[in-house]
Amino acid sequence: MISAIRCDGVRRRDFVRVGGLSALGLSLADLARPAAAANQTGPEPRAKSCVLIWLDGGPSHLETFDPKPDAPVEVRGPLGSIATALPGVRFGECLEQTARLADRLAVVRSMTSPLGEHVFGTHYLMTGYRPTPALEYPTFGATLAHVRGSADNVGRTALPPHMAVGGFTGAVSGRGYLPTDTTPFVVGGEAAGKRPPGQFRVPDLDPYAGLDLPRLARRKRITAALDRFSRAGDADAAVGENPDLRRAYDLIASAAAKRAFDLTEEPAAIHNRYGVGNGNGPGAGCLLARRLVEREVPFVTVYSSGWDTHSNVAALASRYPGDGGAKLPALDRALAALLTDLDERQLLEETLVVVAGEFGRTPRINAAGGRDHWPNAFSMLMAGGGVSGGQVYGASDRLGEFPAEDAVTPADLAATIFTLLGVDPARELHTADGRPVRVAPDGARVLTDLLA
Amino acid sequence: MLPLLALLILAAAADPAGASEPGIAVDFDTDVLPILTRSGCNAGACHGAAAGRGGFSLSLYGGDPAADYAAIARELKGRRVNPGRPNDSLLLLKSTESIGHGGGPVLEFDGQAHRLLRRWIAAGAVRSPSRSLIGLTVTPERRTVPVNQATPLRALAQYDDGTERDVTRWTSFTAEDPAVVRVEADADPAAPTAAALRPGRHVVVARHRDRVHAVELIAPRVGAAPDLSAVGRANFIDDHVLAALADLHLPASPPAGDAAFLRRVTLGLTGRLPTPAIAETFLADRDPDKRAKRVDALLASEAFVQYWTHQLAELLRVRPREPGGADAQAYHEWLADRLREGAGLDSIVRAALRATGDARENGPPNFHRVGGDPRGRAEFVSEALMGVRLRCANCHNHPLDRWTQDDFHGLAASLARFKAGSVVRPDPGAEVLHPGTGEPARPKLPGGAYLAAGDDGPEALADWLVSPENPYLAEAFVNRLWKALIGRGLVEPADDFRATNPATHPALLKELANDFVAHGYDLRHTLRTIALSAAYARSAAALPGNAADDRFLSHFPRTPLPPAALADAVTDVLGVGERYGDAPPGTRAVELADATAASLTLDLLGRCGREESCESTATPDGLRKGLHLFNGPWLNARITAPNGRLRTLLAAGTSPEKIVERFYLVALTRKPTASEAAHWTAELAGISDEAARTTFLEDFVWGLLTCDEFVTNH
Repeated sequence: MISAIRCDGVRRRDFVRVGGLSALGLSLADLARPAAAANQTGPEPRAKSCVLIWLDGGPSHLETFDPKPDAPVEVRGPLGSIATALPGVRFGECLEQTARLADRLAVVRSMTSPLGEHVFGTHYLMTGYRPTPALEYPTFGATLAHVRGSADNVGRTALPPHMAVGGFTGAVSGRGYLPTDTTPFVVGGEAAGKRPPGQFRVPDLDPYAGLDLPRLARRKRITAALDRFSRAGDADAAVGENPDLRRAYDLIASAAAKRAFDLTEEPAAIHNRYGVGNGNGPGAGCLLARRLVEREVPFVTVYSSGWDTHSNVAALASRYPGDGGAKLPALDRALAALLTDLDERQLLEETLVVVAGEFGRTPRINAAGGRDHWPNAFSMLMAGGGVSGGQVYGASDRLGEFPAEDAVTPADLAATIFTLLGVDPARELHTADGRPVRVAPDGARVLTDLLA
Repeated sequence: MLPLLALLILAAAADPAGASEPGIAVDFDTDVLPILTRSGCNAGACHGAAAGRGGFSLSLYGGDPAADYAAIARELKGRRVNPGRPNDSLLLLKSTESIGHGGGPVLEFDGQAHRLLRRWIAAGAVRSPSRSLIGLTVTPERRTVPVNQATPLRALAQYDDGTERDVTRWTSFTAEDPAVVRVEADADPAAPTAAALRPGRHVVVARHRDRVHAVELIAPRVGAAPDLSAVGRANFIDDHVLAALADLHLPASPPAGDAAFLRRVTLGLTGRLPTPAIAETFLADRDPDKRAKRVDALLASEAFVQYWTHQLAELLRVRPREPGGADAQAYHEWLADRLREGAGLDSIVRAALRATGDARENGPPNFHRVGGDPRGRAEFVSEALMGVRLRCANCHNHPLDRWTQDDFHGLAASLARFKAGSVVRPDPGAEVLHPGTGEPARPKLPGGAYLAAGDDGPEALADWLVSPENPYLAEAFVNRLWKALIGRGLVEPADDFRATNPATHPALLKELANDFVAHGYDLRHTLRTIALSAAYARSAAALPGNAADDRFLSHFPRTPLPPAALADAVTDVLGVGERYGDAPPGTRAVELADATAASLTLDLLGRCGREESCESTATPDGLRKGLHLFNGPWLNARITAPNGRLRTLLAAGTSPEKIVERFYLVALTRKPTASEAAHWTAELAGISDEAARTTFLEDFVWGLLTCDEFVTNH
């Protein structure tokens, strides 16, 4: 279980009052609306799936995609920068492999948000909405799962449409106001050392001793019969088939879906390329993400913790002499492997890859050699399906403190990601009591320069 | 001449307070600050943020007038105000965006607010408080009004000089949920209105300087008012509940049958299913008073003590802090003893707050070990005992309520006087730093007096909490009792009482609390009152007209069983126990003193680990739980256990139909209906082979334990 408590002590429940829905009078017409909404036409999807590599804690923009080699040393920091495949564009020195792919990437250097606290910042970045006490919003993955889940996804895969690999943030529930079946299914969220390196174990995927699939199907049928009987004469007929049991059964029944979790099917060369054996880095998560995307899972969050570097940013590069598993080199390797592997399998053009965290870090190094929270200017990266690669969008100022041009809010980012995935940002979803809510906030801009 | 005169008259009419009339002095605290609040300048997203904004920092919603005056009139070499040339004051230039302002224009140039600020500056921009704000009345407090019909809103401020004035113009009105309420203030800021867009109960938050109030709008369901005259009234609860149903035009579902009532009340009061023997006796009993008698029997039972010890332990966050957990064990046992002897909540709270001694041997001293440092203790005490999230006032005055930083740090200071190690000792010299002043905080009762130098903090706090005039403890606790029986608190979340989060039935909450206090803070008395109300006895089946209601008791809400109660219910149905950590075999989940005892079952069911308030435990992962129900040992290993209920019945030669009926009775406290019986008989008739019949019955039992009727209270 990932604790919802972060370094600054704010907890999710401080601002969430789930629902907050005071309204009454849901009519049959309201109930019918979500289904009707499925007929809304969105933009042509440029990507079928999305892999979000979430750098939890807030990655430093200065050590990743927006180095300031000409700034004074207290801003520049202890690490250097390197040239990339894009002339005149430099990345942090650890991102060697990623730098070579820069002509395929779109880097945004002018992200800006007012929220410099983990829970609030995470809510804003992962949902596109600033947190409010009245309503918790769904993350991108939940929205996509909901939109895709209803009609066109049935029978495509038994894997949950919204998955998180290596854990999930404790800052948001993930599903927000959407139904529980949009909650991210977390694989490999165990504490470090609780699972063999490079493997994911999902418990209870195979029938208990003495049982088989027909027995499980009959059990599910008996439960459904009992539920039908007990709701006879109740005007609140909201219960259908128990969604937890239906989803669990579908997954158990699909051998092909379950094989996705078995990384031992991959050759050693692939393991090495991703850096799968590298402790708790994102390598194994990225490899599993590729296997899930191959099986048409719409949204996978690869969760990477440890980016809240209040002290010693140099440890991002190396924690001890000869260290190959530090945060930045591990990310570099996993990200480059994911992009090239997807590309070789002709999946990159239909997979949107996003790398982001909840904010950046203070441009001035603090007394502990670290950087504190800095939401005013930070960076993120997009590549793959529908993204116009080989560009840097926007810029921060000389010291990386504020956007110097083309400021991008998390709401804009949300509108852009949804557009790439074929969901109209203005499309309305409905809360449990029928209240309409836009997929991305009113006023959010689609960054058309980023679209291929 | 005439047009100008007309304009002056108009201005005076729109400003009944007269503060914008030339000749009447503009007061900083009571005229200027409300403008800043009304315009959003000192909100948390702008200059009211802890770090300010753009180098200009104001206290949140004007909670600290002296600091705000210094920021406006003294900082930045006084450039924010220029009495010689008022129009050159940054305060005016920025707010009207005559020069660049990150927040855009917030005041209309030459509008009423702008003119008022200019006059204040021209008069020297002084702060010589002529009066202070002591109260705010907002009308209506609560109004029932049809959908789409506008309700006029009005705010009156009271001052310490005995005067009162209409400050509607200087009050902001915001819908808590803008999608369902339309607030119209632009057309005439002095005469704002609010209209509900959907049926239901809605809240509009009124804010004047640092005061907040809620306006409740109750919009009835469209259609004729239902006839509620024949609906039963058992006690005062029903008067309040039926009044709300009448307001909202919600019909009431008919009363639940005896079997449904028995299951509901047994689960609610003892966290257990009724045994088949009790069910059969109860259903056959012709005594018209049998429900009251059953409630009394349940309240007197040891199962009640166990279950409510578990509930109190969740509230008080009882968990082991010592190796072996002797501390949690001692605390758990102490709570059970208090409940067994019928102690009132007041005496339990008083004993816990005053306790010192070895926490491994004595229960009560453990109270002070929750929360860690004194500020953490203040959060815990305010949430658990007052139902208030005082922690918001750690960094700034509470933005949605009256609590100040002085209240929070004052409470922390009064709780600091213990050293809370394995042995809890008095620590009279301990202090807490007040971040606002940089000085040690003065011990203080929340919203009340500072403690005198010699006063014992916890003792004074206990006196204050249990004094009959103090509403917090009783209201917060009866709300939890209500929630435990009915599934939803009158106030939700149960630890978030505040002026802007009113109860669904405010007068009922007050009356329940008063009744609780009048009866010696006796849990059993209040639980009995709730359990014997007609509202509690309503059917869980919704009518077409009330299906959307989840909080007004038009029908009884279906609520998932708490994790421990569900685990125990499964154990009772299967007749095979489950092990929790290293607790002795036979220990029930609700009996566990150690909330962290290893149990995958309780983890998957979403138990509260008690590190934080149990109000907000995350919903468990449904898919993971589903996988475990199908393929894990929790149900599977015990359905077929040789000593379990199913195998025992089979070994005794019981017929399959009888086995089905027996399990219905144990799990659902009823027999199968005729159509259910026919359904299962038909299913069984298709199976001739005895082994196959057995596996069908195994599958039936599994289905029973996962069906909605079993896993909820209803």
